[in-house]
Parts: sequence; C-alpha cells; structure tokens
Amino acid sequence: MAARRRRAGILFSLPVVALVGSMLLLPIGQTVYYSFTNWDGFSSKWIGTTNYSHLFHNSEFIRVLENNAMMILAIPVAILFPLAVAFLINSHVRGWRFFRSVFFLPTAVSWVVIGYISVRFFADQGILQSLLDNTGLGFLHPNMLSHERSALIAVMITFVWSMFGTNLIIFLAGMATIDQEIYDAARVDGAGSLTVMFKITFPLLKRFVQFTFIVSLITAFSALFSLIYVMTGGGPGYGTTTLEFFAYQQAFSAGDFSVGATAGVVLFAAVFAVSMVQLRLLRSED
Amino acid sequence: MSAVGARELPGVRMWKRRLVQLLTYVGLAVIAIVMLYPFWSMGIASFRSLEQYQAGHGFSLASWKQLFHTLPVGHQLLSSAIVTVGAIAVILVVSTTAGYALGVLRYRFSTAVFLLIVSAMMVPMQSMILPVYVNLSRIGFINHYYGAILVYAALGAPFSTFLMTTYFRRMPEDVVEASLIDGLGYGKIFLRMMLPLALPAIFTVTVLQFIQIWDDLLVGLLFLQTPELRPITVGLATIPSQHLLDVPVLMAGSLMSALPAIVVYLVFQRYLITGLTMGMSK
Repeated sequence: MAARRRRAGILFSLPVVALVGSMLLLPIGQTVYYSFTNWDGFSSKWIGTTNYSHLFHNSEFIRVLENNAMMILAIPVAILFPLAVAFLINSHVRGWRFFRSVFFLPTAVSWVVIGYISVRFFADQGILQSLLDNTGLGFLHPNMLSHERSALIAVMITFVWSMFGTNLIIFLAGMATIDQEIYDAARVDGAGSLTVMFKITFPLLKRFVQFTFIVSLITAFSALFSLIYVMTGGGPGYGTTTLEFFAYQQAFSAGDFSVGATAGVVLFAAVFAVSMVQLRLLRSED
Repeated sequence: MSAVGARELPGVRMWKRRLVQLLTYVGLAVIAIVMLYPFWSMGIASFRSLEQYQAGHGFSLASWKQLFHTLPVGHQLLSSAIVTVGAIAVILVVSTTAGYALGVLRYRFSTAVFLLIVSAMMVPMQSMILPVYVNLSRIGFINHYYGAILVYAALGAPFSTFLMTTYFRRMPEDVVEASLIDGLGYGKIFLRMMLPLALPAIFTVTVLQFIQIWDDLLVGLLFLQTPELRPITVGLATIPSQHLLDVPVLMAGSLMSALPAIVVYLVFQRYLITGLTMGMSK
C-alpha cells in the first residue's frame, strides 16, 4: 500500500521535474559552464575565468553594475509610498476597494505598453514638458531620455509607478493579518495613532517589508528588460543598460554568447547577494 | 468655562476626524489620477490622427486603421491567444499533478523535490534564457508555437507548483483514505476528488499566468521571430521604427495589446490578489 502510494507520488511529480529540470535547471548549469568558455552559440572551448576578468576590467560593464546599484536606490521609494498609502486605506475609508483596483491596474499592463506611455511622458516634447510649460516652469527642459543619468532616473520613476499597486496589495494583506485586539488593547492603554503605527504596525509588518523588498528587487533586476527595450534601448550610451539588458545585448546584438552567459551569472549572483544582505540587515534589528 | 470646554471637545474631535478623512480622500484621488491618467490619455490619443494629435483637438479612427496596416494585428492576437492558452494548459497539468504529489501523497524525497522546483523561482530569466534558446534551436523549436509554449510553461511552472502545493497541503487526509477504501486508485482520486477541490487555486494560477504570458516580451522576441507568429505584445515592441514617432498609432496598438489582460484583471482580480498574497503565506 505504502509502496503504491510512493510510486504514485513519484509518477505525479515527473511532469514538473522533467519540464523544470530540462528547461530551467539544466540551462542554469549550462550558463555557469559556458561562462568559463568562449561559447558562440555553436561551439565552446574552456578558457577559465577570462570572461570574468575581461568584464570586470571593462568600463562599460562597470557602468552596467553602477546602473544596477542605482536601481537598488529606487526600491526604498517603491516600498515607502505604498506602505504609507496602505495605512490610509487600512483605516477603512469608504470605497477602498475601488482605489485598490485602480492602483493595481499597471500590474496587469505589459512593460512594453508602460514603456510607450513612459516615453510619451518623458520625451522632449512630452507630457512632462507640457506640464512644466503650463505651470510656469517652462524654462526647465529636463529632456530626461536624452541624458544618461536622467534617463536612468526616468526608468526608476516608471518602475516605482508600476510597482506601487503590487507592494500596496502585499502591505494590505499584511495588515489584515494583524489581530484587531492588539490595537484595541493599545488604545485602552492610551496610545495615540502615531504610537500605534510605529510601535505596533511597523514591527508586525517587518516580514512583509522584507517580502516587498525581494519582489521589488527581483523585478528591478530581472523584469525590466521589456521596459528598457522600449523606453531607451539601454541608452543613451550605456546609461540605462542593466545587467539583464546587457546579457541580452551581448548575446543577441553582439553575438557574444559567452559574455552574455557570464553577465547572466553575475546577475544571478547579484540578486542572491542583495537578498542575503537585506535579510541580514532586517534580522540584526531583532 | 470647563462646561463649555467639555461641550466643545466632541465637536472638535469630529471636525478633526472629518478633516483627516477629507485629506485621505484627496491623497487617494491624486494617486488614482496619477495611475489612471496615462491610460485615459492613451485612449484619447488613439482616436486622433497624427495631425489632430499635434493640433490637440478633433477625433477620428484614422490611427486605428493605420494600426491594422502597420501590424498584422489579427495574426498577432491569435498568436498571443495560442501561446497563452497552450502554456497555461501545460502549466496546469504539471502544477496540479505536482501539487497532488508533493502536497498530498508526499514521499521520502518530496520536500527535496519541492525545494528544487521552487528554487528555480529565484533565478532571473536572463540567467538561463541563452542556453534555452540554443538548446531549442538545436532541435528546431524556434519559430514554432510549441517552442514558445514550452518556454513559458517552464517559466511559470515553479511559482504555480509552489501555489498548488501550498494549496493541496490543506486537503484533508481522510479524503484520500476514504477513497482508497472505496476502491479508487491514486489516479482516480486525483481526477475525481482533488481537481474539483483545487478549482480556486486553478483559477488563481490561470489568471496570474494569463497576465504574465500575455504581457511578456523576451520569450516571444527570441522564440517567435516572424511578424505573423509574434504575439501582440512583441509585435508592438518591434513596430518598424518609422512608426515610432506616430504617437496615436502607438497608443492604439498599446491599447489593443493591453485590453485583453486588463479585462482579465478587472473580471478576475480577486484571484490575482489571492495568488499574490498566497505567495506570502509561507
């Protein structure tokens, strides 16, 4: 009986193991292997750590790493805005479901479409410029997409805009897990609403802050390819090329598959490292 | 004096509460405008010809007509539908069977298998897509729907398996035992007892994956390269560059490609939200 159950269990696990094993796990191994070769998509020869040393001595690649580091700076903003709004909505204003649906809408829209919206907003003669013109600030010409640093900031702003709903939902779900009695007890003890917020809600939400951080990080590092593809094409220069875009570009524009694979390994390592640092930071506060 | 103070206090408090409430609504309304304005303005722009757009007034269907001349919209919508539905079907098969095996049946190494599958969630798509591309092109799977379907299915499988397994874990063990006594085999238990119970999780996975796959660019870009085979999102992103300055056509295309996912979101957002928050339950 137990043997039959075990056999059924293994049998029912097979499809997912076969699919994920052959299409994800094996390729990860291949990526790591190919990063030590001169792979061109067809043949490969072992060349040790040459790709890595080339990359880290390449000023363009250093710029790419800088861009990824800059993206990390957008994450606290992408977390704090929705956290603040979650507090507003959580006090159960009437119609909060409507607001929740509206705020979450960008999550259903592709990064390609968001990219076109964003280009229209930030372009030289775009919506941002006409907003400035109409508010008497017309002497400002940010023309954000034409300069390396400001183009990256435009990408970061777009990222924050579209992450807002996702992180908001996570915080609302988190607040729903907090027992109402804790609040009542605090009120009885005479705690004001600010005290309640900082002494009770924040500490209890820590787990969820952590979760939004990881989700935002993975999005910023590995889901913005389409946005960058449409919005800036990685430019101007290498201004908005992040690791994930660099990996694609090296392989499919420059035809250098081994460098693409190496960038892919660095990307994976970066996601892993930042997640670990973040977990460590939040844990040490305990 | 004190009597007046005592009478005024509740009034002041109520006034203060109303003010806070008003400010809350103003804040929420401002954010709602920031979120919705781009879509509204996208709609307006799409119903203007380029001249009308530049002039800032007038409406016409010219840009929508132009869109259908610029992109094979019909083909690309169909392509999106085939790829999305196909991949979701594969994802549902592998994730429900996996959920049953890893969440209900459980065996000696099932936790290890679960962790292995779920660990693939942490790996960025770009870190593995190159070998996937080369492997599939070696066996001639590029430029065929089934190639793209397979890739999307694999990318969606880890998270879906995670959701299903968490969901199946809550199934009562007596269901299995009672069915065994009734003479049902493990396959029949899965089909007749487990699948119906798992319907909410199946909906959640379907909605999440629909939006994910419909909105994706990279996989379609690499694995479906001829314009007629491209899904609509990919077609829009690779619109010939001479049209990039034609904002109304771009906006019409954006609206066209976004609409199906937006409709699915509006109708099924409950499942989407459950799915997202279920990811946190562990």
